[in-house]
Amino acid sequence: MTKTPTSLIELSHEATNLHIRSDLTAAHAHVWEKLAAPGTWWNGSERLAVAEVVRVALGDSDPVPPWDSASKSGRLPNSSRISSELQDAVYRLAVHAGTLTEGWYQKMRDATGVTPQQWVEIIEVTISVASVLRFAQLAGIDSPDFPEPLQGQPTRQTQPSKPAKHHWVPVVHLEDSTPELAPFYNGLPALAPVIRALSSVPAAMDTLFTLGDAQYIPMREMVDMNWTRGTLSRRQIELVAGRLSAHRECFY
Amino acid sequence: MMLRASSSANDLELDLDVVRGDLQESDAIQHAPELAALVDASVNDLASLPSARSALVEATDEATMLDAAAVVANFEMMTRIADGTGTRHPADRLESMSELSDSMGLGDFASERA
Repeated sequence: MTKTPTSLIELSHEATNLHIRSDLTAAHAHVWEKLAAPGTWWNGSERLAVAEVVRVALGDSDPVPPWDSASKSGRLPNSSRISSELQDAVYRLAVHAGTLTEGWYQKMRDATGVTPQQWVEIIEVTISVASVLRFAQLAGIDSPDFPEPLQGQPTRQTQPSKPAKHHWVPVVHLEDSTPELAPFYNGLPALAPVIRALSSVPAAMDTLFTLGDAQYIPMREMVDMNWTRGTLSRRQIELVAGRLSAHRECFY
Repeated sequence: MMLRASSSANDLELDLDVVRGDLQESDAIQHAPELAALVDASVNDLASLPSARSALVEATDEATMLDAAAVVANFEMMTRIADGTGTRHPADRLESMSELSDSMGLGDFASERA
């Protein structure tokens, strides 16, 4: 019998003596449920093809340099549901995100034909896989398998996104909020640019908020500089966050 | 930036070398060397990850190690969102962090987008 996405995460988290927080298990299960299901712009098989590139890239002990083609290196599946140009873009996002430039983004879009919203969804798949697999690696537990792809068409639900001053991708401004974005926008006087970055695809915002709340700090507690779960202090949390971001050469 | 804010909120002096440099124990951040070692091993030296994990558990406890692992996972997410979407800081924010950025050498990052 096929295992459900949630059971794959639960198996991974429970096959250990570690006591992993139930809200963290639930957050990872939630994004695993979405991983191989039809999304907003990609179907389940296409999303899984993106996920597979991310998995290979994260596990690559000697990554292909950013200026070379990962798809031509023989490390990526030949019969992928996505083009080799898009595989290359996903691989670079997964292992060399700090090297991306606006020029690269424009060329990548020309080469792959993806829309900005399709690219945002690719980022969503990438962050789902990176979060779940990197947590497993750091915690020393088995990585969960990928779920089986679900049939169905993407929703193709559009949002009133507009060109943005602080992003390459268009975003939905606070004053243009929609019912789909209300859970993320309502009650907030402002939203950091990095949070707004995925707003053209509300399902991606859902992934970001679900993971961020469980892995880092619930969004509404962000202003509390002494917030803690009773384990790491806020300063310890920010040390880990800052040090990882520096390793990834992320200026933002 | 959030590290600086969380320290200022508690009137603590913080040497921001903790983000990129070698770490010593400090009053401002308990168990900073063990936390940094976990992050560093996860990026640069997977073979030493088990010992970094054990050292952190010994210094703190299992739940703290798991929460540190979750924060790393989260910033594997945030860095890819920022760099994949070309997210920039607003001009006023960039100005307020210019000293910090210079002292930490962040201007050398390819991902700097003014």
